[in-house]
Amino acid sequence: MNDEKLTTKNTKGGGEGDGSSTPTRFVTTTVEVEGRTETRVVEMPAFALEPWGVDAALTHVGSRALRVDALVKASGRPGYTTDVRRPHQVDACIVRARVARGRVVSIDTSAALALPGVLDVLLAADAPARTKLFASEITYYGQPLAAVCAESAEIAERAAALVVVQVEKLRHSSTVAQAIAADAEPVRPGLTNNLLFKEPRTNARGDVTAGLAAADVTVTREIRTPCVLHTALEPHSAVAEWDGDHLTVWESTQGIFRVRDNLAKNLGVPLTNVRVICEAMGGGFGAKNYAASHTYIAALFAKRLGRAVSCVVDRAGEQVDTGNRPSSVQRITMGATKEGILTAIDLVAEVPLGIGGWEGGPGEIYHELYACPNVRTHETFAFVNSAAMAAFRAPGHAEGAVGLEMGINALAEALKMDPLELRRRNIATHDQKKNRPYTGNRLSECYDVGAQRFGWSAWGSPAQQVTKRAEDAREIPGNPRLVPGKPHLRRGVGVAAQIWSTGGGPPSYASVRLNSDGSADVLAGSQDLGTGTRTILAQVAAEALGHKLESVRAIIGDTGATPYAGNSWGSMTVASLTPAVRMAAVDARNALLDAASGLLNAPKESLDTHNGRVMVRDTDRSMSFGEITAKLGQVMIQGHGSRGPNPQDAGIVTTGAQFAEVEVDIETGVVRVVKIVAVHDAGRIVNPTLAESQLEGGIIQGLGFALFEERMLDTRMGLPLNVGLHDYKIPTLADIPVIDGHFLDGADVQANHVGARGIAEPAIVPTAPAIAGAVADALGVAVLELPLTPWRVLAALSKRR
Amino acid sequence: MDLLLNGRRVSATPAGDATLLDLLRDSLGLTGTKRVCDGGACGACTVHLDGRPVYSCLTLAHGCDGREVRTIEGLTPHPLQEAFASEDAAQCGFCTPGQLMAAASLLASNPDPSDSEIVAAMSGNLCRCGTYPKIVRAVRRAAAALRGSV
Repeated sequence: MNDEKLTTKNTKGGGEGDGSSTPTRFVTTTVEVEGRTETRVVEMPAFALEPWGVDAALTHVGSRALRVDALVKASGRPGYTTDVRRPHQVDACIVRARVARGRVVSIDTSAALALPGVLDVLLAADAPARTKLFASEITYYGQPLAAVCAESAEIAERAAALVVVQVEKLRHSSTVAQAIAADAEPVRPGLTNNLLFKEPRTNARGDVTAGLAAADVTVTREIRTPCVLHTALEPHSAVAEWDGDHLTVWESTQGIFRVRDNLAKNLGVPLTNVRVICEAMGGGFGAKNYAASHTYIAALFAKRLGRAVSCVVDRAGEQVDTGNRPSSVQRITMGATKEGILTAIDLVAEVPLGIGGWEGGPGEIYHELYACPNVRTHETFAFVNSAAMAAFRAPGHAEGAVGLEMGINALAEALKMDPLELRRRNIATHDQKKNRPYTGNRLSECYDVGAQRFGWSAWGSPAQQVTKRAEDAREIPGNPRLVPGKPHLRRGVGVAAQIWSTGGGPPSYASVRLNSDGSADVLAGSQDLGTGTRTILAQVAAEALGHKLESVRAIIGDTGATPYAGNSWGSMTVASLTPAVRMAAVDARNALLDAASGLLNAPKESLDTHNGRVMVRDTDRSMSFGEITAKLGQVMIQGHGSRGPNPQDAGIVTTGAQFAEVEVDIETGVVRVVKIVAVHDAGRIVNPTLAESQLEGGIIQGLGFALFEERMLDTRMGLPLNVGLHDYKIPTLADIPVIDGHFLDGADVQANHVGARGIAEPAIVPTAPAIAGAVADALGVAVLELPLTPWRVLAALSKRR
Repeated sequence: MDLLLNGRRVSATPAGDATLLDLLRDSLGLTGTKRVCDGGACGACTVHLDGRPVYSCLTLAHGCDGREVRTIEGLTPHPLQEAFASEDAAQCGFCTPGQLMAAASLLASNPDPSDSEIVAAMSGNLCRCGTYPKIVRAVRRAAAALRGSV
């Protein structure tokens, strides 16, 4: 696949420049980010590429190449921000609020400053207003109030504990009910009421009342999902160092360019004076998208002290003040005909956002996943006195899928229909929100392949009638929900689906350059969260160059060295960046062929590249890339690539289905997940091994959401109760089921010319509802609140009895 | 105090309440060992003390006087590293040094562990990216490689 067709100055591509007879270099396009639609300016690529179709003969793209930095990671040597050690580096520690709401009366730092080794303290007056550091109005537990800098992290931590903060406590609101009560006070200054947008948000299509009236069966449920924490193992952290008026910041981030923007704007420094580096990072999951208090604290101390300053958020701070997936209450009413066709979906939801946040709520997936003419979602997003939410892997959809899918299960039960069959009858055939087709939705195949790999048909109809009591159950032999010889155990199965916008989009740029030895560098302003960005960029460049993979290296994570790329969020990186990388590589290859044409004395059209050599077709003449670049001396072959606009007439989504088998101990209430089968359609998979790793990772996070994870808040005091990893439970190796993660073969040639869509967030969406459905199947009664802890399971069972 | 660190004798003067993790990361600059929970809940700081795995965040530095400490920097090269790479058992990689030290300790005492023995030995090491299935495969692969090489 190295005979790229080049056309110059293409202006077609779906942007608003369409239809114009004069070439338009800058057009607008829409991009879906974390469930929001953004309109962006995009620079049209200088030439267009034929998409890599589903049958394209590709060598590196689609291969199971090993992660390029795997051995570095296995030796403990990647450059994580928390491991950066600059000369004369010192450490900062944050002083945090210990009440949910109040007013700072005074801060006494004398004892802290008197401690040997303490260098400086930072208070509100010392920070530029734009950084919003250290507000005197306390609006949540854990809010930064001051910071201390010392010769070591230990001394800084000790000094922070010596800072005496006098606080006047004020009445807080921890719950939606408290926040919207008639006598509620504003949870933070400047609010007229405590609601996002000042009022609930209603999105509707069709007529829900008429739809419910037309239904043969209706179900109503109230479903609750917990507040859960990202819990990346590397905490939020920054190291800042000034050289005159130039600032370099190492930051554990999902967006080096966004952190650079934040720093420049809020510190009043020209962009060109700010460089942000993220060589390696220890996970983000949505919580590391901006510069935050620790970043500004490191930068301000570094300026004041003239030394490199590290600010690493400690684990308690990480768990209380870096974001969360907010909890939700979802009251659903759904109706269907006796044939199992949905007639109405109605959702009334409440979401306590924390002290800040946006409308990443459960409602969106109710409009997307199933074909239904009548849908209404009414969501109350309330600000409350706890830490602000942040995007967490499929924000909104992960929690919304729990309510929606449990509603579908309830309908299936009412209809006495296989829950998989009910889902098959209601697949969304098009983007119902925007009334346009999808570039592809192969959910039906995901169901087929998944059911076959899982062995769904062996489980027959649900077991509600057999599981009331152990004694009764023993009398019904042959039911796979019973475990012979173990009357205290029940097994069950569940299925759930997902849909998530994964088209990515511009702007994203890449450069490819050939060094004088023929090796190639890919430069892109992205970052590798652990997803494998470094690896897949090298694969795509090697493919388009016709090079050896081991001769291509991706240089990312440094705003000082790379062209712009966007944040690694919204499952956007592969679909946004790989087309730019491919284009840059094609551009560089084109220049290489110009040079090779003379050296090989052959017309350019007769040349091809493979495995790091330029060959004259139908002859045995060839030269290696290195032989050609050596002849060029210090001339540098470079290619530039950019991401073009998205198609405007079609929605781009990743869909998938997951099947869960669980075993429940009906005496203890303990749930064990036995098996998960996941089948997703994400267009072209650039590296199946890395994609499967991310799929397994999303499933395991979804398992934690289903069974263990819950940020507990004492609503009377407004204090978080489980801020450490002892008390906030994430899955361990001992909790892991058999996982069969699989992607359909394919290529989405409408989405972009690489054919890839995103995979990371879709992975988590169906897991928890599939597990919840399986538990309901095992017990004969649904547990309507996550996580499915033993006491909730036993409570549901006793209610049934 | 003195310790035999990755085969070399090292002298240090840690504070009285410094942990072995503080000493390694902050005084000696060995940053391969990771600080995550700082309280014995995650296993990311696992090192070997006299050949046995310990949480260095719960081990006082002065308690290591005269003893042998091995960190990820001193493990190299080990078949586990190749196995972790081959099985894609590291995503972000932040927990990986602790995982490797726990696994190396397991394989030193049990050259042919069953899956349930791997789970028992390794379930104190948290991973948030979800590499667990591949960690089990990597440990099995390394065990086979080690047995093949003796």
